[in-house]
Amino acid sequence: MAQEVKTLADMVLRENVQILDGVDTWEEAIRVAVQPLVDGGFVEPRYIDGIIENTHEMGPYYVLCPDLALLHARPEQGVIKQQVALTIVRNPVRFKPEGPDVRVLVTLAAIDADSHIGAMQQLAVLFGDPDNITRLAEAPDADAAYELFVGAPAVE
Amino acid sequence: MEIKKIMCACGSGLGSSMLVEMNIKDVLKKLGREDVQVFHSVTGDIRLGAADLFVVGRDLAAFIPSDIPEEQHCILTNIVDKKELEAKLREKFGM
Repeated sequence: MAQEVKTLADMVLRENVQILDGVDTWEEAIRVAVQPLVDGGFVEPRYIDGIIENTHEMGPYYVLCPDLALLHARPEQGVIKQQVALTIVRNPVRFKPEGPDVRVLVTLAAIDADSHIGAMQQLAVLFGDPDNITRLAEAPDADAAYELFVGAPAVE
Repeated sequence: MEIKKIMCACGSGLGSSMLVEMNIKDVLKKLGREDVQVFHSVTGDIRLGAADLFVVGRDLAAFIPSDIPEEQHCILTNIVDKKELEAKLREKFGM
């Protein structure tokens, strides 16, 4: 691919990182976790509905492991530009009644199936260690969470 | 059957499935099986003959069509856990 590989640092603006006390429902979790990307002009508001609809249709396939959701829908469901947001909820949310509890919500807006591979490689390394997920979930503030997140080692 | 082609699938074909593809490639390297082709796609693309092995997260197991034999299913409980992946791939490869 001719396009240069984007790292997390290229794809996450500081204003895309937020820490909240909690949410009442999984639908609300999706709304708040996608909102920074709507505000920044990276996705259309219908991207939120897209993720919620996909969840009704297929279940929460984006809950990767305990404490971590990688929220995303398909590019044609409203992505304008590729970008990533990070939302931490101090009180966990469940996307299914039986769990698991989730505190770290990463929202991905991808423009196609492959362009975001650099960022995904970093995420795979970061989240391959469950301690890193806990560190993010318990980050003292959004600045610290941002540093932990974009500081993940890049992979060649 | 011999596994030459592995498909990882998720609901939108670009998030979880891409992560799993990268992890599978790492495991294949470790197992010395870099000859095996790996790709990611949406669950709707899962069909008999599209690959020799279909890797999905537990939530999407029901999206594997019933005509695909059990031996070609690989269902992950924790899709970022490389240890689980390696154990399951070793079993599928008969290693």
